[in-house]
Amino acid sequence: MRSPRPAASLTDVLDRHLKWVTLGPAVIVFVVLTAFPLANLFLMAASSIRFEQAEEIWTFALWDNFRRLAGDEVFHIALWNTAYFAVVAVAIEMVLGLGLAILVASLNSFKGVTRTVLIIPVLMPPVAIGSMWSLMYGHDFGVFNQIVTGLGFQPINWLGSVDLALYSVIILDVWHWTPFVFLILFAGVEGLPKEVIEAARIDGARNRDLVFKVIIPLMWPAIAVALLFRTILAFKVFDQVFLLTSGGPGTATEVVSLHLYKVFFMQNELGYGAMLSLAIIAATIAFLAVGHRAAAAVGRR
Amino acid sequence: MPKSKLVAVMATTALAGALVANAAAQDSFLDVGQQEPITILINSSPWYNGFENVVALYEEQTGNVVNLEVTPFDGMLEKARSAVRSGGTSPLDLLNINGTNTVEFYEGGFLQPLKDIDPDFEVPPEVLGLDDAGCWDEEKKFRICETGKLMGYAPNGNVQLLYYRGDVLEEKGLEVPVTFDDVLANCKVLHNPPDAYGYLQRGQKGDSIYYDFMAYLLAYGGSIEKDPANGDFTVTINSPEAKAALDKYIEVGRTCGPENYATLGQGDLIQLMQTGKGMQGHAVVAAFPNFDNPQKSAVVGKIDAAPLPRATPDGQPGVAIGSWVFAIPKNASEEGKKGAIAFSKWFLTYEAQYAYAEGGGIPVRTDVFASDLKDREEFRWMPAYLEEIEYGKQLLGYTEGPAVNQILGLRLNQALIGELSAGAALNRAAEDLEELFQRNGRKTGRLEPLPE
Amino acid sequence: MLVLRGPSRAFGYGLLALGVFLIIAPFLWVGLQSLKYEIEILKGSWIFPPTAFNYEDVLWSRRSDFPKNVVNSIIVASVSTAMVLVIGTLAAYSLSRMRWSRWISATFLGWTLVFNMIPPLTLVGPWYLLFREVGLTETLTALVLTHIALHLPMTIWMMMAFITDVPRDLEEAAMVDGCRRIDAFRRITLPLVTPGLIAAGVLAFVFSWNEFAVALSLTGRHTATVPVAIARFAQQYEVQYGQMAAASILSTIPALVLMFFGQRFVVQGLTLGAVK
Repeated sequence: MRSPRPAASLTDVLDRHLKWVTLGPAVIVFVVLTAFPLANLFLMAASSIRFEQAEEIWTFALWDNFRRLAGDEVFHIALWNTAYFAVVAVAIEMVLGLGLAILVASLNSFKGVTRTVLIIPVLMPPVAIGSMWSLMYGHDFGVFNQIVTGLGFQPINWLGSVDLALYSVIILDVWHWTPFVFLILFAGVEGLPKEVIEAARIDGARNRDLVFKVIIPLMWPAIAVALLFRTILAFKVFDQVFLLTSGGPGTATEVVSLHLYKVFFMQNELGYGAMLSLAIIAATIAFLAVGHRAAAAVGRR
Repeated sequence: MPKSKLVAVMATTALAGALVANAAAQDSFLDVGQQEPITILINSSPWYNGFENVVALYEEQTGNVVNLEVTPFDGMLEKARSAVRSGGTSPLDLLNINGTNTVEFYEGGFLQPLKDIDPDFEVPPEVLGLDDAGCWDEEKKFRICETGKLMGYAPNGNVQLLYYRGDVLEEKGLEVPVTFDDVLANCKVLHNPPDAYGYLQRGQKGDSIYYDFMAYLLAYGGSIEKDPANGDFTVTINSPEAKAALDKYIEVGRTCGPENYATLGQGDLIQLMQTGKGMQGHAVVAAFPNFDNPQKSAVVGKIDAAPLPRATPDGQPGVAIGSWVFAIPKNASEEGKKGAIAFSKWFLTYEAQYAYAEGGGIPVRTDVFASDLKDREEFRWMPAYLEEIEYGKQLLGYTEGPAVNQILGLRLNQALIGELSAGAALNRAAEDLEELFQRNGRKTGRLEPLPE
Repeated sequence: MLVLRGPSRAFGYGLLALGVFLIIAPFLWVGLQSLKYEIEILKGSWIFPPTAFNYEDVLWSRRSDFPKNVVNSIIVASVSTAMVLVIGTLAAYSLSRMRWSRWISATFLGWTLVFNMIPPLTLVGPWYLLFREVGLTETLTALVLTHIALHLPMTIWMMMAFITDVPRDLEEAAMVDGCRRIDAFRRITLPLVTPGLIAAGVLAFVFSWNEFAVALSLTGRHTATVPVAIARFAQQYEVQYGQMAAASILSTIPALVLMFFGQRFVVQGLTLGAVK
């Protein structure tokens, strides 16, 4: 046994400054690791950067970058596609994730196993998901078309049809990320005070009322957080598009991070790329009007 | 397939493994003296095993240590940039840089001209120059050997070849196509979807369609810009020749390919060939070993190679080279640079290249292509390669290369799916390109628009 | 949570079974591919001679460091998850329970969100420079640090959501009884947010396990993690589907096992400290 006294005095010190002790580490991590990249991003966005004699040459180009952004036709299409993708994919994932969370929480047995099984998709490396799904979507040999033709229909051009390609990407996204929503919401459901729900049930509430009038309002903070982070992730969608369609056919699946990849990474346009990156962040923030309200709800409680 | 063929293929595959020991027995390899250990940035690829074997052979013969930083294809650029950009000594001594990105490294002054390290260093005349892949003229800011400096050399020269099912063509009494019209004529007989596709070419947006369209553009005498080597960036992509090329490309794609012709990527194309659905098509030479690998292919020994089709029987095939370049960072250590030069000298010798080819690599020496290897079943693509490579062109030898690639990659795909007419797509591409060159202060302009 | 009876029970369980099947089926399909030679994968066959070739190639071939990659991933994901949970939960507690002035909490939370929105592509360059300055490139330490920063925002926000759900009165009652605030936090609030802690931990772990862009740039041959290794099977001209499938299966197993034990560790640790 350790002697309690010195430990107690340390704890006392910690307790006295608890406000700083608790937030301090996170602030340090952020200042040390994110201040430089963030500042760098803003500086780059106002510049044009070339390399000569292995040296970086920065010139001020804020207005040029703005003008280019305003005239970047592909980026505008990509922005629209991304927003559309985010709305559809996230909406489906939220509904499915919530449903699964409540159903699994209502299980009497196999709860743990079911939960473990349900998180497998987020556990697979994205590059493997993209490659394997492109095989599954394959026109001639893919498993989806095997099923479709097995049912007696014509094979479907999953990735090659302008009308369908974005939805094929969404289907993959729903498979990949519903478990993310499920996991957060399942924790939300599990954390609900059992007594409140029991009381409502004794008062004669039916299951439907329980879900919509008791459970969902009570777990609103968890729903808000899931929605917030899922939306941010949806705006960053890259791997699956890159691996399934490369943004095609035409501009059907062109998304913002794919465009950023081409400009910032492939074309080595660091200045304008950083500007694009800020534009994506700004678009995400604007889009998150809903998320903002959710955050306010979290803050208020 | 005759059984003896299969046995031969399998035997040679097995032999490849024993090659290191085999080749070590000969002592005609170049002696490069003792060197400090070096680190090479290399991508995992179908020919990686060949390269690994050859490096092992180098280590065994010279006692010099070579570390291989094996990196995913999509990570190569990032790794190379980090090594040269961040100041300090580069952790990598020899970089493998994808052709599309070489200009960035040349122009940025990140690489050491090879003769600065060793004035005696020469790329042997037998080594393919691949249309000046490894040279840079600082004044002209262009990839050209005549006036430029030697910055690197290609560890392999990848071009596309025409592949066809030798057995099927013979059975149907068809000739190996020489022109794109021959391709279409054969396709009419062979195309029987979904069991057989008459001609496969990539249509996926981006580099895929850009690269595969170049086979048409160059064959039809078209070009992207007028004379970039001498500073004239007048855009010529909306010329009548380019229009003819695009019309033909679209016709072949739509009538001879699978339903998803507009998203067909390299993987899909090779899959269709390997499973036996593809009757003709073009793809990179690096794909060939897969066709003969019984683990990967249902058509072992049945696919033969020929030079790419031409526009007319007496025309030239349109051969766009997609090579990598080995180069040495300026900020590598002095010992590292010396070691990298020593390895390079050794690697470019006939003996090393021969061993490299046997191990599964694509060699860069003409005398290796002309050696007894070409008579072996698994190297039956070599004569076609050798015939084709003299027409090889390195395109986009200037800074805007990757941007040009992406502009065309989109506009061509829009034409293929019918979103734009061929004329409109080329006009739009020309406008985009002119704007791009203008932004960079180039001397530019464009042709009269095509009728849309 | 819900008590399902009669037809609604059949309907609910049917729905759940369907959901589980749809989620697990593609994974099982990948597992099936890992047992095939490539030609059988390409042909999409269902009847085929099974082979262990892909697994052997992934694990034991000369160019493979897969076992080492797995060890690296285990270290990075476990250490960064543990640290993210500690730092993130403390910060969440601070922000939701301590009286921070509004602009401080808003600035900090806003910062975490904006940082979370940055496309990772634009982060790698500055981070490489940063770690190069302090001589930490090609070390697991660098990767652990970046993963902490990357996954803190989500952990903080999630834990805030769960902590605000715990009634304040419980803590205050304990403090009236003479309990110090730090003990009230440890013994009362923390055990009540166990489900949230586990969810946040699982997510931080999963994201770290699969993180590719930063791992690629900050690791070398000896420190490469699983996603970097798996990306090597997606090559310029071909995807080695068989090996990739085998590697995906191989990478999920240790992650599942670790998460299982990690959860028990968290649960036990918290119940030990809890007031019964």
